[in-house]
Amino acid sequence: MIKILGLEYFKIRRKKIWIMIILFLVVEMLWAFMSISRSIASNPDHAVWESIIFSISSMNGFFMPIISAVVVSRICDMEHKGTTWKMLVATNVGRGHLYAAKYICINSLLLYGIFVQALFIIVFGVIKDFPGTLPIDLLIRFIGGTLLTTLAVTALQQWISFAIKNQAFALCLGMLGGFIGMTAGLFPAAFRHIFIWSYYLDLSPVTYLYAANTYTVQPESFGIVLGALIMTVLFYIAGNIHVSRQEI
Amino acid sequence: MKRSISAEWLKLRHSRIGLVIAVLPIISLLIGCANYYFNQGALQNGWYSLWTQVSLFYGVFFLPILIAICCSYICRLEHLNRNWNMVMTSPVSVASVFLAKLIVVSILILFAQALFMGLYWLAGTLFSLPGPFPVETIGWTIRGWYACMSISALQLGLSLRIRSFATPIGISLCAVFIGLGMYIAKLGMFFPFSLLNIGMRVMSQDKLTDMQNFLFWMINLAFIIIFASMSIRRLKNNDIVSS
Repeated sequence: MIKILGLEYFKIRRKKIWIMIILFLVVEMLWAFMSISRSIASNPDHAVWESIIFSISSMNGFFMPIISAVVVSRICDMEHKGTTWKMLVATNVGRGHLYAAKYICINSLLLYGIFVQALFIIVFGVIKDFPGTLPIDLLIRFIGGTLLTTLAVTALQQWISFAIKNQAFALCLGMLGGFIGMTAGLFPAAFRHIFIWSYYLDLSPVTYLYAANTYTVQPESFGIVLGALIMTVLFYIAGNIHVSRQEI
Repeated sequence: MKRSISAEWLKLRHSRIGLVIAVLPIISLLIGCANYYFNQGALQNGWYSLWTQVSLFYGVFFLPILIAICCSYICRLEHLNRNWNMVMTSPVSVASVFLAKLIVVSILILFAQALFMGLYWLAGTLFSLPGPFPVETIGWTIRGWYACMSISALQLGLSLRIRSFATPIGISLCAVFIGLGMYIAKLGMFFPFSLLNIGMRVMSQDKLTDMQNFLFWMINLAFIIIFASMSIRRLKNNDIVSS
């Protein structure tokens, strides 16, 4: 398994996917930097750690589904383009292992992106001199929540990217995910919990109270965590079974 | 040229790209309408309020990404199976190859805009909004489509150059935010992605002055010519990468 995973990294060594992720995140971070700076300028009470964590979480609802779709598509499409998937499954390795190696490779790249976001939050807080100590627990919850949602999103994207050769559909799904993730806050909780992309906001450690115009720590919801886990397992197993049995 | 266009159409046959193009305006409109329905107390300006809700996410975020998907798709076939060699040795000029692709993408986007407009009219009628249908929204949609052409020229250049399907789409995602920033900084006239916001009057429904209108049409035209000539020049002078 380690060998297969190593080969996945070997295949993408010149694709510069990690640079691409950084470039996308730079745009997201710049946007977050501008919006929070404006928010603090108009209301100095917003100069707290919670503001930047909430801002990044809400922007992740739009950015992460599209970044995930792009990364998954690039890693899966190379097998379609080179017609190498047929060759891979003809080797003495189970299709399930190949599928798992790709999944781990994709998520390790995105986890690196999430760590970059966490680093940005810390740097931003230090530059803006936010009061109090670094909220390690909030940052860990932010990383965990974002990763958990990303695991489910990538499981779904990998299924679509492998099952349908035409990557326009996978990218379209990523775009719709971004759309739902961005507008999730507008809809009732019961409705939005159906869609995995809204979990970026639901699993955020911080929420914004519009009536009180303030940020507050959101209690951990076991139900939402369980929901995300179930979706991850479902999408992964369904994708794995479908792709493994599909005729190439 | 006509044969190049029909060849592009032929390549799109059975691709179901129409499905991708139709889904986006429909979802944008549904969410915009739901938002309008739940906030009718605050949104009192009838047809114009509905326009702000339905066009905001569509015009600012998703139409540029849809253009990027169309451009990547229309170049995908060339990047597969050494097809660039065949295209470059065919008895048509590279300019006609590029322009045919640009025209076909523009037609696809025109279809998306027409569908969006039709759905907007349908939604407004179903909501029984007061007053007649605002005719100027048709002008905004056409202006939006014109701005889409300069984005298409840029994205086509990227998709012709970058062999990956997804990377140009990611670049357009970044460009959307840069465009939004430039629009807010009142520099929207100098960036194709902000010109789309200006053209579709997504964030402000104020009428453009004659000068602004003139600049809008001229700068877009300049962008189309610049991006198209850069891509054609590159296709003519640089060796293609085919695998």
